[in-house]
Amino acid sequence: MNKLALIRSAAFMSLACFFQLAAQAQSNQLQVLVKFVHTANGKPIVLQDSAYQNAFGEAYQLTRLKYYISNLGLLGKQPAQAAPSVYLINAAQEDSIELKLKAGIYDSLAFTLGVDSIYNCSGAQDGALDPLNGMFWSWNSGYVFFKMEGYSAASTADLQRIEHHVGGYLGAHKASARVAIHLEKPLLIKEHSGPVIEVTLDLDKYWKGKNDLTIASNALIMAPGPLAIKSAENFAGMFSVRVVE
Amino acid sequence: MFLFTACCLFIIGAAKDDGYGTYNPTYLQLLIPNGWPKPERDYFAKNKMTEQGFQLGKKLFYDSRLSKDREVSCASCHQPFGAFATFDHDLSHGVGNSFTTRNAPALMNLAWMNAFHWDGGVNHLEVQPLGPLTAHNEMGQSLDSVIIILKSDTAYKRMFKAAFGDASISSQRMLRAFAQFTGSLVSANSKYDRVMNGQDTFSNFEQNGYRHFKVNCSGCHKEPLFTDNSFRNNGIALNRFKDAGRQQITGLASDSLKFKVPSLRNLQLTYPYMHDGRIFSVPQVIDHYIAKTQTPYAGMDSLLQKPILLTKLQKNELVYFLYTLTDTSFTKSKRFDPDGPVYFKH
Repeated sequence: MNKLALIRSAAFMSLACFFQLAAQAQSNQLQVLVKFVHTANGKPIVLQDSAYQNAFGEAYQLTRLKYYISNLGLLGKQPAQAAPSVYLINAAQEDSIELKLKAGIYDSLAFTLGVDSIYNCSGAQDGALDPLNGMFWSWNSGYVFFKMEGYSAASTADLQRIEHHVGGYLGAHKASARVAIHLEKPLLIKEHSGPVIEVTLDLDKYWKGKNDLTIASNALIMAPGPLAIKSAENFAGMFSVRVVE
Repeated sequence: MFLFTACCLFIIGAAKDDGYGTYNPTYLQLLIPNGWPKPERDYFAKNKMTEQGFQLGKKLFYDSRLSKDREVSCASCHQPFGAFATFDHDLSHGVGNSFTTRNAPALMNLAWMNAFHWDGGVNHLEVQPLGPLTAHNEMGQSLDSVIIILKSDTAYKRMFKAAFGDASISSQRMLRAFAQFTGSLVSANSKYDRVMNGQDTFSNFEQNGYRHFKVNCSGCHKEPLFTDNSFRNNGIALNRFKDAGRQQITGLASDSLKFKVPSLRNLQLTYPYMHDGRIFSVPQVIDHYIAKTQTPYAGMDSLLQKPILLTKLQKNELVYFLYTLTDTSFTKSKRFDPDGPVYFKH
């Protein structure tokens, strides 16, 4: 490393530190980690590897499970604070979200499964919403909010596929779901507490929730519409929350 | 004081040459032709139009290496000499000699459109290229591969830097560059426009045809864009692809067989007509409307429920008027033409 580069990186680091300190002093925000885990039949979901069975006795395997989380926040007596970002959660990897919060007592966790309509109709996005993530429909603009793919002997589709591409942001086809879950007991967030909140998606409750989604008659959900709504109505019921520490 | 020095050093450092040229954007503005409305949507509010972005979009538009077989570019189906429609083809072709199921629409005055494709399924100018790039019977490529191709090309890196400030290549930047080029394709210099601007006059034939146009056609093909951007059922029957048009997007039975009203600008060059190119000439299109409106049915558009009556002479006059919508300064524009030779696979 030459001299100039050294000076430059030192300067950059001091600048970075300065801004970080300034930001902390300004809002005094504390960090909470929200971790997403995925289960079926009481076991962690392992894509491609394990076989599961839904409440209708239909056996299936999964190859993909991805979904968007937005407006994530903890609610309490303090004014609600939601993270402005959109996150793409992928069961193929361990995903967790860092939430920045003010100190206080919180009693529930809330988020939207889906993507706010504005991002569905405002042109090319990046980050989690980059169409490279394979979650944007090219023929009927808008995001796939929830993508689950796999195979089942119960499927009547080609190659016994299961493909649930659930989305839709317009009017009666709006398939995003608001999820709000009460914590078992109020959570005190204070300096150095650093809790981890574990959000569990239980796929058993996706197949059988508010609506029955048998694989035999719902192997493919590929577009916004009544079928996607039927699926989306099961979103809220499949999540549970627990505070780990 | 230390902080100030640090800032200066950092800025000097950042401006150091990365080997991909300089960033000196020349900002452009979408010019609104005389007498035209302002576009309803501002596609260039976040995506500032620059000469460098336009040039990058143009290069992408004519680059067949982006397709799966490296032979199909956007321009294969949107040919400049055909007002950016597929010249003389009912259905356009994709990779591996595949056929699409629709007639490629002319690309012009897109900044005045709110939805794209014959069924309006695409809701923003920037995301439109995702369809043809990835459709198996168009360019047949995965978006990942397109980005990999661009990233491995130094010429592109230089152009992305010139357009966006650094050489990093993302789908968002690519799509925005596409929009800067396609949104610039404005056709507003036909004889009709010159007449409206007092620079030319219609012949008697054309003038009579203009009158027939205003009585019979202008309800949907609204001046000055010659479309009202709506979706309508104009009485065409379901085709062999069972293409229900707008219904496939909205799921509404009432949208069955509704397709986007195309602009009539440059129609002399955009034959054949309708979403599947089923009608080959302008007189035949007029005959279609005359025939359909004699025996209208409930599903047909409300504006087509009363008979269109035109004599043979009046039909000819109408055709003469419609041909005044041809804008050769647009179709022969050096600015929109590729910079080097391009192979059109047709």
